[in-house]
Amino acid sequence: MQRRTFLQSLLTSAAIIGTPMWASRALAAESTATIVGGVSVENLPELSGDLTLYLGRGEGGLYEKVLQAISDRNPKLNLKIRRGPTAALANSIVAEAKAGVRRADIFWAVDSGAIGLVTDAELAQVLPSDLQEQLKSGFQYPNWAPVTGRIRTLPYNPQRVKAEQIPSDIMALADSDLSIAWAPAYASFQSFITAMRLLEGEQATAHWLRAVNKRAKSYAGELGVVMAVERGEVDVGLANHYYSLRLKSGKPNANIALAFTDNDAGCLINSSGVLALKDSATATNFIRYLLSREVQSYLATEAYEIPLVKGIAPPPGLADISNIRPPKIDLTKLADLRPTLKLMRDVGVL
Amino acid sequence: MKRFLKQFHHLALAFVAATSLMAVQASANGDIGDHVNDLQGHLKQYHQEVSWFIDNLDEIVVRYDTKGATAAQSDKLMENWEVVDFHSAIETQYVPVYASIWQGIFGVKQAIDSEQPIVKVREQQALLEQSLWQALGAVKLAAQYQKKGLLAKVKTTETDNLTQPETIDEIKHRLDRVVAKYAERLPESAVSIVHDTYQHLFEGIEGALIAQDADLVEDLEKDFNVTLPKALASKSSVDDVRNVVEDMQGKLDNARILLVQAEKKQKDVF
Repeated sequence: MQRRTFLQSLLTSAAIIGTPMWASRALAAESTATIVGGVSVENLPELSGDLTLYLGRGEGGLYEKVLQAISDRNPKLNLKIRRGPTAALANSIVAEAKAGVRRADIFWAVDSGAIGLVTDAELAQVLPSDLQEQLKSGFQYPNWAPVTGRIRTLPYNPQRVKAEQIPSDIMALADSDLSIAWAPAYASFQSFITAMRLLEGEQATAHWLRAVNKRAKSYAGELGVVMAVERGEVDVGLANHYYSLRLKSGKPNANIALAFTDNDAGCLINSSGVLALKDSATATNFIRYLLSREVQSYLATEAYEIPLVKGIAPPPGLADISNIRPPKIDLTKLADLRPTLKLMRDVGVL
Repeated sequence: MKRFLKQFHHLALAFVAATSLMAVQASANGDIGDHVNDLQGHLKQYHQEVSWFIDNLDEIVVRYDTKGATAAQSDKLMENWEVVDFHSAIETQYVPVYASIWQGIFGVKQAIDSEQPIVKVREQQALLEQSLWQALGAVKLAAQYQKKGLLAKVKTTETDNLTQPETIDEIKHRLDRVVAKYAERLPESAVSIVHDTYQHLFEGIEGALIAQDADLVEDLEKDFNVTLPKALASKSSVDDVRNVVEDMQGKLDNARILLVQAEKKQKDVF
């Protein structure tokens, strides 16, 4: 029922596509973000000294803008940044530690799987409890902090199907008569299947993949999935939330609406994350800046990412995730994709 | 001739782009050293190398004409090109012409190896010579810019901290390298550049671009994941691959305009 109630409120805006409803929701979200939740940078200590950050490539340019803003605000901070693919940097951190070297003070990764590589190697410092407590329930970890999230969604075309036709159980999608778009080669899709494997088991996941594969149309990426739904080529798709929101922001009358499953891999929230590799006040306080009200709101409104600090409004066009019940899963366990890729190959999806 | 003029147009644009502060990333076959970061000081050497290569090319063609394909030793063309420093000078300064040189080398070699009439071999020889002189002109122009301090130093490390419009420039540059590697008969390297560019550069900007023009992003996603890899895998001609890349670069130019406009509207973090 909870899901249905939420869906109803979301779909009210989705059904009136291109009307001021969408815009008013966006405005409401933005204004709320500046009023409640999070700690303002005005109340954070000034950062000073040397700090080396390993930055996994992310939302092109916007993470850089955040870092530049933090540097500008803290002129006594000497921030050195090493950039690279997230997984490669995680491997570097582990390799450096094995060689007895710790070059990085902070690691900011675009996906939690890479964080898992570092925390599993016991290289991350325990974070202060007040910092963990800023994060929403289900996203509090002792030695790393999720920064922003993205949620798995079922984008659908309201001209072709009604919200009631979309199953609230991701496993039931396999038995529905809906035509489906998916992007099996896409990294986010593979993380979603990893979550399904962990939650439902190998056999059920294999069955689901085989069944969906019979009716699914494959696309190179998840934007392609969303666009196919919008054009009416299929009824429903499997994609991260931000493609639909971005499409809506540029094309308010797009024929797309979002549905969410309940408490399963279909509504998995994965996240970017940050951890400290050295026990240093500057490193810990730097993480506080990333969790600040201003940075969280900026990433929500500009990058359409989901703030994971309590009380910060979601991106324009997305209802509060407190109404959604994502599965309880340790995000760092999504690191190892190999069994997922093997399974997908075995059933002929890849 | 049309392609020749088009390439000169691209050349001029490339040097305009080079006056920006963006570092030029290189992954040339040859060593990155003094000879690419002091072009002016090596112009005489480059001129001698191009002349030497063209003389040797002519000797190979004459041998083919008088003694046949085996005596021509067409493999010498690749060996000669690999040993000249000019090779990495043009590869780091203007990749599209570098690709044309490899295309020309294989054009002559194939014509000889398949025992084409001498008139056909001479046609390929003329195209190769044209590309070589064009390349020398490009390096001379680059030397002038470098002398004035307008050309970024060639580095072997990866380009860092690009703005979104700069990322588009870097993607276009890497697509030129795709054509070059394909012309060099290294299709796996070409495919690897395509995947790497999509994953590490294009995916970083597509989010911002979707809100501006979702159809354009979808089109480019298809190009990166289907059209270009298919062209590279299906033994297309270098010209066909170049056409796909030039089509993508045109779309990327449109994307750049949209991203510049969008960046102006972005709010401040604090």
